[in-house]
Amino acid sequence: MKWNLIQTKVLATLFACLAAGVCGILILMQYSFARNTQALALEAVTGSQKLFSILEAREISKMTAVSDALLMDTQVRDALAAKDRGRLLELTAPLYTKLKSEGITNWMFHTPAPNMAVLLRLHNPAQFGDKLNRYVDKEVVRTDALVSGNELARAGFAERIIRPVPDAKGGIAGYVEFGEELGQFIHAMKTQTGNDYGLLLSKKFLDRKLWADSSGIWKRRDNWNDNANFVVADKTTASENILRFSGDLSAVPAQGLVLDRYKDGDSYFVRGIFPIHDAAGNTAGAMFVVHDITAVYTAMRQTEKILLLVILVCLLIGTTLVLLLLNKLVFKRLKHIIRIAGRVVGGDFETEIKVSAMDEVGQLEELFEQFRQVFVSTLEQVTGMEEKSERESSHITSAAAD
Amino acid sequence: MSQLYDLKILIEKTIEAKGLDAVDTKGKIALKSGRLLAFISPSSPDDPVYADKLKQAIKDVLNVNA
Repeated sequence: MKWNLIQTKVLATLFACLAAGVCGILILMQYSFARNTQALALEAVTGSQKLFSILEAREISKMTAVSDALLMDTQVRDALAAKDRGRLLELTAPLYTKLKSEGITNWMFHTPAPNMAVLLRLHNPAQFGDKLNRYVDKEVVRTDALVSGNELARAGFAERIIRPVPDAKGGIAGYVEFGEELGQFIHAMKTQTGNDYGLLLSKKFLDRKLWADSSGIWKRRDNWNDNANFVVADKTTASENILRFSGDLSAVPAQGLVLDRYKDGDSYFVRGIFPIHDAAGNTAGAMFVVHDITAVYTAMRQTEKILLLVILVCLLIGTTLVLLLLNKLVFKRLKHIIRIAGRVVGGDFETEIKVSAMDEVGQLEELFEQFRQVFVSTLEQVTGMEEKSERESSHITSAAAD
Repeated sequence: MSQLYDLKILIEKTIEAKGLDAVDTKGKIALKSGRLLAFISPSSPDDPVYADKLKQAIKDVLNVNA
């Protein structure tokens, strides 16, 4: 390959453009994919956050309706006013079995203020008499009205409602509380969205010993030391790899945060996280969202391959066409001029250069044909003069000899 | 005969022996050596400088050492 030839330079330039074009398109596709995955992750986070809010509202509504029905039961009301734990248990235990199957995992009765304490735990009747002193407890005493919200107990996080139970005289017989473990929300969310979720609880709101004890009771692995700032209360996947977050839960913005994209086996995921606030407004935990983008990723890669192939074929066809065109319009005609120039000086004075088109090369052909005619004419004159001179010289020589 | 004419004869014989296009080949040699071969005759005076150029052209075009 001769690098001084225009043909070579044009070819090299076209291939450089081809390579640059392919690289540019690949970069553009990567950028587009990154933006799309970012959008998918954001959609997964915001969608999950909305779904979580809807589930929260729905469950609060359900627990409120149950409590409304319960407050109409005078036997329950009287048993609570009399602080008759045995009677209360007898009256409510059958209902608790049904409510538990509907997701209400916690049900408690509390004695009235000022010495508010647990009178009965339907979900753990053996444990009673303790003072919880939580935000919702203080609020229900302060407002004498229904209080709802997420409350992080020392070993778990539950959505709760607590409300006063009036006695027959118009006073307060005590308080009734219903709660649903937030962990069960994530399984419902997974069913609806297909995403995987992890409920993260901030360690600063938890008690280490209670967490270990509750892990034993619920037969779950004590995962306290898995992460620095939080524990995973529940998750919808068996994989330990996907729930990774090194930041501070309290720093997660209210609208959520999109995290990195990652690969696990043959699957690709995007991750995000949104905060979960307790009844007092503290960021007590967060929901980790994992959205599977394998199908999108595979389709994108497939499209990328097809696009790349199409572009390569188009560019190759384009390059070939440009070269063919250049060859026909320029290189072939230049070679013809060069060949004729060689033949003229080689003695062929007859072959003319025909102007094939009135373009730039055509102008050169015209100029060269004019030059050829001048050259041939001059050569004929010089040759004629030389022959004449030789004849005269020969004539003089023979005359002198005579 | 002159040295230049000897070279011209060599060119013509080689072209014939190799079956080359005479006009094309002579044209290439003329362009490389800088003069028309048609002007070389038996009476052409010796010109060492031109002779060297012609020999080099013969070598380049015909691949023959003159």
